[in-house]
Amino acid sequence: MDSTLPAVAEELLKEIKKAFQETSHGTNTFSFRLKFIFGPSAVPALDLVDQRSVTRVVSPSGRTAYQVLGSSGKLYTCYSSCHFCTCPAFGFTVLQKSESLLCKHILAVYISQAMGACQELTVSEEQLTSILLAEEEDEG
Amino acid sequence: LCRGGLAERLCRLQNRERSAISFWRHQCISDAKTASDKSGVLIVKILEMFEECTIQVAICQQLEQSPAMLSSEDVVINAGEPILKVLFARETAAHLKSRPQDVIHIYPPWQKLLLRNADVPVIMHTYFSQKVLLSEHSETREKTYGLTKMLIRKNITSLAQTFSLDDLDDELLQESSDNQVACAPQIHNNCDSKQHPLARSAVNDSLLEMVESQGAVGWREAQVRVIIQRVYCLPAREGYRSHVQGNKPLSAIPIINSDPPNVRLCLLVQDAYGMFSEVQLQSLTFTDDIEQYCRRWEGKFCCLAGMKILQRTTRGRALGLFSLIDSLWPPVVPVKVAGQSQASEMMTTNLPPPSFCYILTAQSGEIHVEVDEEEQISNLYQPPAVHGLKEILQINGCNERCSFWAQVLYLRLQTKHSVPINQREILLFVTDSTLQNVVHMIPKVVAVSVAASCVLSTEITEALSVASRLIFFKDVLWGNGRIICVERTVLLLQKPLLYSAAGADLSELTGPVRLDELDSTTQANSVCAVKGTVVGVNESTAFSWPTCDRCGNGKLELCPQDRGLLYCNQCSEVVISPVLKMQLEVFLSCPSRSQSTVKVKVWHEISFGILSIVRLDIYEVQSVLGKVFLLLNCYVHSVTSFFYCVALEEIVLL
Repeated sequence: MDSTLPAVAEELLKEIKKAFQETSHGTNTFSFRLKFIFGPSAVPALDLVDQRSVTRVVSPSGRTAYQVLGSSGKLYTCYSSCHFCTCPAFGFTVLQKSESLLCKHILAVYISQAMGACQELTVSEEQLTSILLAEEEDEG
Repeated sequence: LCRGGLAERLCRLQNRERSAISFWRHQCISDAKTASDKSGVLIVKILEMFEECTIQVAICQQLEQSPAMLSSEDVVINAGEPILKVLFARETAAHLKSRPQDVIHIYPPWQKLLLRNADVPVIMHTYFSQKVLLSEHSETREKTYGLTKMLIRKNITSLAQTFSLDDLDDELLQESSDNQVACAPQIHNNCDSKQHPLARSAVNDSLLEMVESQGAVGWREAQVRVIIQRVYCLPAREGYRSHVQGNKPLSAIPIINSDPPNVRLCLLVQDAYGMFSEVQLQSLTFTDDIEQYCRRWEGKFCCLAGMKILQRTTRGRALGLFSLIDSLWPPVVPVKVAGQSQASEMMTTNLPPPSFCYILTAQSGEIHVEVDEEEQISNLYQPPAVHGLKEILQINGCNERCSFWAQVLYLRLQTKHSVPINQREILLFVTDSTLQNVVHMIPKVVAVSVAASCVLSTEITEALSVASRLIFFKDVLWGNGRIICVERTVLLLQKPLLYSAAGADLSELTGPVRLDELDSTTQANSVCAVKGTVVGVNESTAFSWPTCDRCGNGKLELCPQDRGLLYCNQCSEVVISPVLKMQLEVFLSCPSRSQSTVKVKVWHEISFGILSIVRLDIYEVQSVLGKVFLLLNCYVHSVTSFFYCVALEEIVLL
């Protein structure tokens, strides 16, 4: 059987975008649905959106990436071409245990896109490259 | 979590939902399970199940009627019956423990989602689901199935499959609505207004024109530039609207309507022609932001677009609003006059004050208000004029709006029990240096009543009850010798950035605050200082009670386990050494009001020290008579002129 959840999630996000375009802030219905589908990631993701934590980073060639300022103050990078986030929760919950479709950062990226709440940042090609190839910082 | 943000809202809804779900589940156990005669219930039979992330996906067949009549073997899959994909949240799935062939009743409010490229509808929000046990074979079946752990296939989704939020249809629509401006005013972002391009259409400067051109072509995109004279909160009148769409709302379970947003943020704006309008914005869940909104927005320019006219009100019908408008009239800079060419501006010396005002609101949820926080304050802005309390008491008019900065000494809540607490009037006793430093004819302390229509932020209510605070009272109403805080009055903890204080004495209070002495002019519901000698004791009023030594709780109970001990249910502990509080009414002879009987309810330890009373069961009345109170601060409950009796209660100033 084909996957159901991604199609449902995509539809839900599309609806949010449409609702937001029409009324400039969504109703409570979509947050109920977000909660149902994404479970425990929903509230933290909305919190990140409330705080305008998502930045869309663009380079002159048109490449994009997303940077999300997490609640701990760390900046995480989310890819736009596939579902990937540099946060540890993604590695554990999504990759390892397949317990969730997305981590809260990726969900925040989608919701911010739907609501037009992304900050925009234009950087050079070299800067975007270094963001995408970021080394793990050793915390002593 | 951000206050008033999406996350916080969802959190609260979630909590409400959770309690509704557990309540419903308990009800299901206690209710007799009747067939699905309740409408809105979806009956499905599970054909196949698998798991995706933590959601259980069940491919089901929708049944027309309850199969409780038939035994399980008789229910045959009819090829014509519709197929559904029902999603169950992890917790619901664990509760149901369903297997293929089970029949599930899904109670509203469930939600249906139609995917674009699939023809199988998806059912979500299935929290209120119940498994229906069929007839005689069910019990044995359950037992055997319970022994084997069922393995559910898990679908893993590819990470390469990203979500696309764009629709081809949407892109076509995008081009035609390019010049729509939609920017919710947010206190947290500073430069969003720069990122959203302003509408291409010309910006108007007349509110009247915008109102009169309502409904005409292009009026939605037209913008009016105004300045914000005042920001305040009004208690909202609309009730809570249910957000359940499509399906019937839960009829069996009362949805707890606690804390709907009950205040709305409002702006009093003025255009270049001097015309005023009140703009009602979004509901505020927390009133603490009002001080910030005032600081950041008052005096600034703002663009309004696509407003809806709520009301056109006149002076006679909206006295409160017009008293505020009058305080801002005449305008401090020349305003334009309609009919003149745009280039010239006329003087305003003889313009009559406005007689009508439009109340505007945002169109159906949209908020088309863009405040230009970066720009300078407009010349048209009239900051609140601050006066000393002495000056205010001498104002001759009625229904005048005025502002002052004063120290709150004592707070009293109206005691009518028929009125709910949040609608009760509060009486504040305030003073400032202009009152304290004067000798004659002017009271030292003045009472300010706060009506229920005046919205107080939680910061203010907390500050008022804790310690003596300096509060800025903005736009209070003065009339008939009374100062009242009504709607559109704002109480702030800090002085605003801009205010005019022509000649007002705003010096700090030096030295201790003094109350007026009790004399023949003292009236009820005021505070005063009493000096006198004890001439009698009202023994029947002697009352003492134990209080908790940890939290001061005066309502201790007998311990259920050991009736000899006291228990404090606020600390949830036994009180081993309770503090004894006492209360007693004494009669004083006061030289300042020698004709009256002055009765004071005394309760403070210091006063009992003066009376030399340690315990109310062992004191001697004789030893109390003759004791002198040199300065006792009191609240005047009543002054009966017939018997010349004044009833007072000792108070402690903040």
